[in-house]
Amino acid sequence: MRAHGARWVPYLYIAPVVIIAGVLLYTTIGFAGFASLTDWNGLTSMEFIGVQNYVDMFGDRTFYIALRNTLLFMVVTIVLQAAIGLLIAVIAKEKLPGSGFFKAVFFLPIAMAPAIIATVFKYMYEANYGSLNETLRALGILDDGAVIQWLGADLGVWSIIIINVFSWMGFSMMVYYASLMSIPEEMYEAAELDGAGWWRRLFSITIPSLKGTTAVLVTLGIVGSLKTFDQVWLTTQGGPGVSTHFLTTYLYQARLDREAGYSAALGIVILVIAFALAAIQGRMANRKDS
Amino acid sequence: MKTRRTKAATVAMYAVLIGLAALWLYPIGVAIVKSFAIGGIGNYEAVLNHPQFNYWSAVGNSFLIAGGSTVVIVIIGSLGAFAFSRMRFRGRTVIYRLLLACLAIPIAAVVTPLFTIISGMELRNTYIGVILPLVSFNVVIMLMLLKNAFDGIPEEIVEAATIDGARPFRIFWQIFVPLSGPAIATVSVLSFVYCWNEYLLPNLLLSDESMYPVTQAVSLLQFERMSQEQIAQLYSGLILLTIPSLLVYVSSQRYLQTGITAGAVKS
Repeated sequence: MRAHGARWVPYLYIAPVVIIAGVLLYTTIGFAGFASLTDWNGLTSMEFIGVQNYVDMFGDRTFYIALRNTLLFMVVTIVLQAAIGLLIAVIAKEKLPGSGFFKAVFFLPIAMAPAIIATVFKYMYEANYGSLNETLRALGILDDGAVIQWLGADLGVWSIIIINVFSWMGFSMMVYYASLMSIPEEMYEAAELDGAGWWRRLFSITIPSLKGTTAVLVTLGIVGSLKTFDQVWLTTQGGPGVSTHFLTTYLYQARLDREAGYSAALGIVILVIAFALAAIQGRMANRKDS
Repeated sequence: MKTRRTKAATVAMYAVLIGLAALWLYPIGVAIVKSFAIGGIGNYEAVLNHPQFNYWSAVGNSFLIAGGSTVVIVIIGSLGAFAFSRMRFRGRTVIYRLLLACLAIPIAAVVTPLFTIISGMELRNTYIGVILPLVSFNVVIMLMLLKNAFDGIPEEIVEAATIDGARPFRIFWQIFVPLSGPAIATVSVLSFVYCWNEYLLPNLLLSDESMYPVTQAVSLLQFERMSQEQIAQLYSGLILLTIPSLLVYVSSQRYLQTGITAGAVKS
């Protein structure tokens, strides 16, 4: 399509999206890269200090706690969401009466704002008057007057993981369900004629056919984990102490503490991890396909 | 497969579904039951007449911010998708790849530069100042979805129109846009939901409480030490704030589900 219009016409069409998304986002990254080399409070003048922020980071215990929490969250949420999502998708494919209702229940949290879900869970998890401990006491699992600190230093990250699984498992389920429906029925019929039982068909046909889908879910899980902020900030704010900080919340806290240079360096580290993991994962997925 | 399923297998499947559904409905049930604690329906009245929290203003702000962002995303996304799908120009692949790489950027990683840039443009505490970065962070995935839809339109139609003397914009407006109705609907719904749900950007860029969207307005119902009554009111507030999302979800479920999964399958 080049019969009409000058050579610059296509650039006119892409200019808005390139300027508003591309230019703005790459500018922020460049800015963050520069700011990470400075001592800066976020408002007044910057003082160039080279790679000192990065050196500081490697000796910063909170950085390692935040890194550990982010990676733990990444691995556990990816595995749990894929496993539960696949389980429900496989059952939903059997077209049991009422399976539409169950799919709607699991997909429902996707329509709710993470900030609102996080707030519901925060008050549900509260140790003394929260509903979760109340329910456990009513069921006799927890003694009267006993408390579990769901958002304490030991369990906090796991409780945040549960919020994410609640929010996003339905997404994995729908994606798996969509790709299950695209496996040709003849493959199952042929296997059945060969005498393969339900489990055999699950492991020799269903699961291998879902490799590509799983790879996509892993990529999205990696990117999503590195973006996770609301669920931590609105429940624990990284506390108690610094025990439940994620890289994103630690960065935000550093910004509020007027350590904008250090905060920018944390941002660069998050970006490097994001691009590196996405690239490695993409390469591995490509190798499996070919 | 259906013929060979035993009764025991059916029971086991229902047991799994019911058990998991109970876990998923528990937090929602808690929120609903607690929202009626102590004051009953009065909690809802109290929230709607709250001194600090203005429900209708929060919902209105969210509609303005999410709606405005959606309009901009759909317009600039479809124009860009048209060029990347059907025009030949230098740098097409490189520019498209550089844009797609933006998908991996977490908003949180660049909050400080973003704050400085938006402040520098004197756009803090303005709707435009929130809409602009919301568009930046959400338009790329929508560009990709629209390009995938545009790629499916047969080249012959474009050639025929070109021979008839149609200029690119006419081909875009009279062929691509009408033929991509479902894709544009999907992108609109997804953009709206994603922007509606955003918390970090407004939290960073809006400090004027009268401009708070729903995600941020939740903070206006929380206090340092909360009484049981205030917690019950908070829950009724959360339920009220979820109602608009649920209405969007119910009325556009078809586009939402296919859109979200298509975004995953084709990326």
